[in-house]
Amino acid sequence: MRTASELKFGEKVLITDIDESHPSHKRLIEIGFTPGQQIEIINKSFFNDPVAFSIRGSKIAIRVSEANCILIK
Amino acid sequence: MKALVTSDTSVLTLIGPPNSGKTSLFNLLSGKNYKTVNYPGSTVEFLRSNLSPKYNLNAEIYDSPGIISLEPASPDEKVAVEILYSFCNSVSSQIIINTVDASQLSRHLLLTKQLISSGFRVIVALTMKDILNRKKIDIAEKKLSEQLRCDVVCIDGRTGDGLSDLLVSINCSLIEFRNNGNSKTISRTFGKNDVINYFNDIEKITASVTTKIEPAIKPDLINANRQLKIITNTSKESFNILDDLTLQIDRLLLHRIWGIIFFVLIMGIIFTSIFWLAQPIMNLVDELFSSLNNLVSSNISSGWFASLISDGIITGTGAVMVFVPQIIILFVILGLLEDTGYLARGAMLIDKPLSKIGLNGRSFVPMLSGFACAIPAMMAARTIPNKKERLLTIFIIPLMSCSARLPVYALLIAFFIPYDKPWIGGFLLAAIYIFSIASSMIIAAIVNKFSKSMIKSEDSSSFILELPTYRLPKIRNVMRHTYHSSKQYVMRAGPIILLLSLLLWLLTYFPDYAPQVSGDNLSPIEIESLQDAARFENSYASQLGKVIQPAMTPIGMDWRIGVSLISAFAAREVFVSSLALIFKVTDNDEDLSASLLKSMQSAVVGDTTQKLFTPATILGLIVFFIFALQCLSTVAISRKETGGWRIPILQLILFTTIAYVAALVAVNGLRFLGVQ
Repeated sequence: MRTASELKFGEKVLITDIDESHPSHKRLIEIGFTPGQQIEIINKSFFNDPVAFSIRGSKIAIRVSEANCILIK
Repeated sequence: MKALVTSDTSVLTLIGPPNSGKTSLFNLLSGKNYKTVNYPGSTVEFLRSNLSPKYNLNAEIYDSPGIISLEPASPDEKVAVEILYSFCNSVSSQIIINTVDASQLSRHLLLTKQLISSGFRVIVALTMKDILNRKKIDIAEKKLSEQLRCDVVCIDGRTGDGLSDLLVSINCSLIEFRNNGNSKTISRTFGKNDVINYFNDIEKITASVTTKIEPAIKPDLINANRQLKIITNTSKESFNILDDLTLQIDRLLLHRIWGIIFFVLIMGIIFTSIFWLAQPIMNLVDELFSSLNNLVSSNISSGWFASLISDGIITGTGAVMVFVPQIIILFVILGLLEDTGYLARGAMLIDKPLSKIGLNGRSFVPMLSGFACAIPAMMAARTIPNKKERLLTIFIIPLMSCSARLPVYALLIAFFIPYDKPWIGGFLLAAIYIFSIASSMIIAAIVNKFSKSMIKSEDSSSFILELPTYRLPKIRNVMRHTYHSSKQYVMRAGPIILLLSLLLWLLTYFPDYAPQVSGDNLSPIEIESLQDAARFENSYASQLGKVIQPAMTPIGMDWRIGVSLISAFAAREVFVSSLALIFKVTDNDEDLSASLLKSMQSAVVGDTTQKLFTPATILGLIVFFIFALQCLSTVAISRKETGGWRIPILQLILFTTIAYVAALVAVNGLRFLGVQ
């Protein structure tokens, strides 16, 4: 199973699940990272962390550790 | 809990996710005046106003921090949610005006769903429909209203279009409340599956209420295009694309290398413009107070009263009002940056390095505000969800070089500036800022290492931040906010400064010992200044000062600076006004800082000929001000925000000790190297 942190630029994939072991998994869901949604990496910061994703027409920056709990196809 | 409002008032509470146009709507609905109110038991601020009288509706309107869910993650969100529930019991009718960004419908409706299912009376204010239309999508409000089972009103925060519809809807809801009484609201939790189910509903709703605006071309062509799949059938895909302009700007501003360069550049421009832009206005304020001083001394015959007015009140407040322009400019710049959407990017860029020393990308905005004033900065730290990171941010905010230090630095730096090279001043100031940032980072890292004993730790660090679409800042909103923040600032600092100036004047003037100075070859002015000097030598301040002399000698200073330093503990800027008082600015024809500078340059240690203000002692003073926590308001707000005395006392002791030791090392180190 891949996670959103392994995405490359230009790759558009669907979210399959959100790993509940991460303490901020709930906030991720509330902000719109739900199963079935398409996500894409838009920007990476200088240190490759955090990463900005496109989700539901918005741009959300999250840390790599949080991207790790977004499971993708 | 103390009730905020009486039970028969009607309350309109604005609730919505961040960046959903909540503040614009509040400005539209509220009258000319709004107040920042503290939520009972905390210092979280929200805005309260009466509904503008031109709308003929009697209700109070509240604007609270933005939330994305009814389950709060950070202290500011927690308050927004608590206000919501507390009003249910304390007022006769509460109507929620839920702002929803039409272009982000599929994310923003989560809160709407939660609000409705908790039993609140909700009116959805659909904002930024123009942005949606630009994406060639239209939205059917009626359908949305039917599906959500609540009123939906389209509103444009900039032009006020749709406001009358909203008012009609508010009025209807109020009448309904009067007839049916308050509906029952329940505080409930939403599990992972609840949220996912809500989103499934929302996706169905958005699909059914949005339609693609077909371009006005021949039907045949549309059909042909559809077959060729040039135009997509579903609106979902075009609905979920990002704003093109934002993408392009971010390609530069969030570029892996250029992003950092632009970040440094933007921060550099901010800090230099604070000084360049403010200078002419500061000179103006300065002249104003100088001429006021002249006016007093020429109209009131000399004596203690004239001295009280000119030395006590005018000199004291003047020295402080001088830097209000800088505060205003800083607030304007911060407001503009916030409104364009760049601050969130800055937070993202700096998250990684800050997380290394136990802070968070979200610490960026509070720290930046700390350069204006520590008080709003500490309050801004509430947006940090993680408690340890929030406390650490609050802990180091007093080290950010706040604008109260500016007049002090400006005065001290003036000693080093040769007449022909004014740019050295800017260079030195920049060096002070860089030094203070670097040392605050080091202190943060050290405190973080010992955080278990200093700050109670708890670990679930996270950084989830929406990067809003870039847009032109709304100047009116920025100005309105700046006006209120600056006013609040002056109201808070003003009385303290005035009071201390008066107290200090009392201490330096009494017990009014004025010896008869004889001398035929002295002019009346010279006689007067000799009398002033004798009076000061025998004043209470002088007697008090001699007690602290032993602490001042090691850092090369005398009790006169000591008294100023102690009075600066009330507020830093008092240092300048008290130096002005103590070194008695007698000539009024020049501006305050220039004449103060002259009398400081000629000051000597005791009865010797050794100069009091040398490069070594001046640098020592600068170093002292970089570290010392000399601000009572900061200590008070730190106590409130951290919920105890532990952190503020720790800050006070630690930073003041560091300041003294650093000054000691600086002065003696320089002397050792041969710099006097």
